[in-house]
This record gives sequence, C-alpha cells and structure tokens, in this order.
Amino acid sequence: MDSKINRRDFIKATTATTAGVAALGAGITLTTYVNANENPVTNEKRWGMLVDTNRLTESDIDGMVTACQKENGWGNETHSTGDQKASWIKKIKVKDTATQRISNLALMCQHCEEPPCVDVCPTNASMKREDGIVLVDKHRCIGCRYCMMACPYDARSFVHEDITNQKEHMPRGKGTVESCTMCVHKVDKGGQPACVEAVNSDAVIFGDLLDVTSNIHQTLKRVQSTQIRADLNLNTAVRYSGI
Amino acid sequence: MNRFMVLLLSLMVTSVFVHANSEHTLGTQADSMKSSGKTYHQSSSMIRKMHPEFMNHKRDKTLRQGVRTEEYSLKGCVSCHASKKDQSNDYHAIDASEQFCSTCHQKVAISVDCFGCHRTTPAEGDK
Repeated sequence: MDSKINRRDFIKATTATTAGVAALGAGITLTTYVNANENPVTNEKRWGMLVDTNRLTESDIDGMVTACQKENGWGNETHSTGDQKASWIKKIKVKDTATQRISNLALMCQHCEEPPCVDVCPTNASMKREDGIVLVDKHRCIGCRYCMMACPYDARSFVHEDITNQKEHMPRGKGTVESCTMCVHKVDKGGQPACVEAVNSDAVIFGDLLDVTSNIHQTLKRVQSTQIRADLNLNTAVRYSGI
Repeated sequence: MNRFMVLLLSLMVTSVFVHANSEHTLGTQADSMKSSGKTYHQSSSMIRKMHPEFMNHKRDKTLRQGVRTEEYSLKGCVSCHASKKDQSNDYHAIDASEQFCSTCHQKVAISVDCFGCHRTTPAEGDK
C-alpha cells in the first residue's frame, strides 16, 4: 500500500480534526454558561432595555403590566388604597404641549448607573448589582422610604399589608420597599424579563448594553433614543425611542 | 393519695409522649428521602446548629451577586421540609404551629422572620 498521503486525504483529515476541536470548544463554552449561576455576576455585562414608543400600542403596555403582575405576584393587595397599591411598571401618557402629540410608554425602574435610591439608603438595602440591576435587599430594608422620595421616576412601591402566597422566586413582605427587578431570577438563568416576552413585536428589546454583538447594542447605535430626565445624568439602562 | 400520684404521673408521661409524637415529621419529601436511606445534609447536628449562618451567607450571595445554587437556599428547605395535609395535595405552611420550623423555634422562643416575605409552601408548577 502506498504510504504517501495525497493532498485530498490530508485536507479531509485536517477538516475533521478542526471540526472536532471546534465542537469540543462549543462544549466547553456551554458548560461555562450552565455554571454561570455559581459565579458572582460581573460588570462585564450591563443589562438594559430599549422601548420603542412609536411601535408600542396601548394594549401592548397593558400586556406588559399584566405579565409583570403575573410573574412577580403583585397587584392583588386588598387592603391598600389607590396610592398604596404596588406598581412596579405602569402605563404613562406623555403629551407634547406644543404639538399635542401623545405617546404612551411603559415606565418602570430605569436601573440607573448612578441610582439616587442607592445614594440615600441608610442601611445599604437599596443596591446595584455589578451587572447594573438595581434591587432592594429586603433583608436589610427598614421601610423608611427615602428611596421612594429620591427616585425621579416614582418607580418604587411600599408594601402596606401582610402578603401571603408569594411567588417562590419573588419574596414580598409588609414594611419593605419593592420595585422592578428586571426579572433578575429569569435573567440569571439566561431568560428575559416577563414584560419583554409579553410584547410580540420587537418594540421592546432586552439585552447586554456592553456586548457589541447584541441586538440592543446594534439598535441603539442605529436609531435615535433618549433617557427620561437625561438632565439628571443618571445614565439609565432603560431607554426610549420615539419620544 | 398514692393512687392519685400514679394517675398524675401517668398523665405527665403520656403528655410527654404525645408531645414527642407530634414532632416526628421532617416534611413530606424529607421523610421519604430518609426512609429510602438517602441523606441530603452531611451532618444533621451541623445543619441544626449552623443553618442560620449558612442561610445568611447564602442569601447575600444570591441577592447581591446572583449566585443561584441550590445549597442552603430557603426554597430548597421549604421544598423538602413542608408537610402535605392529610388526604390533600396542599401543604401546611412550614412556619405554622407544629410544622418543621416552628417545632424547634417555638421551643427556644426565637421567631422565624423568613416567612414575612418568603413563600411558606413549595410552589406548584412554577419551578
């Protein structure tokens, strides 16, 4: 038998080996991803959202609110009066007084880079994770509500009554402040916030603002978008286009 | 007088047994795990003594750093140690009187704050 390897066979063998190594590489990446929950989150990511108010209909926003209530189990407080009721996300109408143009938008915690709620918290309960998600650590919250006064977006609520039958992933209790968590329990497992999933179109995009290949990064690079109360220099993670 | 003493003593002994009897349950899933000879915790004396520290440490890691492993998660405690009601698929609240947490906590008179916010029964379906 001829021991010389011809060119065609050599290419075949090399291709097979490369494919094998690539498959192994993919396997390793996958493992890292699965184990990601064991490692603390880092500032290599910053989660954000882009809401396109031109394409978001009123019923879309209602759907987002309902999805949030269902996911996180708020909104069925029976003893709280109007202002006391929880509202993690709400429908807001804004009108340009000069042109009379009305836009609807969904307003929730804007997950600021420089969150005023964190600045004012006396117990460090109000906190920002490394990946930019702003949360209330209810283990530390004493219910003083400074953060509610500090928030320019009125995004936080106070629980005024005893709560039972909470969602397993979303503890809620009387005497603590709460707000949108960007569905952190889903995001940590590779998912998306419930409100984003509720909108069928891509009028609301969720993703990593720092990842240059992500849809949200690419879109923000392309379209005009704005932060609400950009004058406060909070650098919000939730951005809006069309207002 | 002697007869009276015997009666009194036997009543006292019975009440002790009744009390001991009510404390035997570890929770539906934990009971079945124990009867099949499996163990979850490395040492039960360790978990009895140290569970507040383990859980305090874990809760900060979960909330502040996003570490969502099963070890020492309160969700995990509840899912194994909650008991099913008789002839029903519903669970007793784990912090209710005579249930897993409160049997010890009542005895040592330390309140369980966890369940002011956390769910007291395993969630159906949404795991």
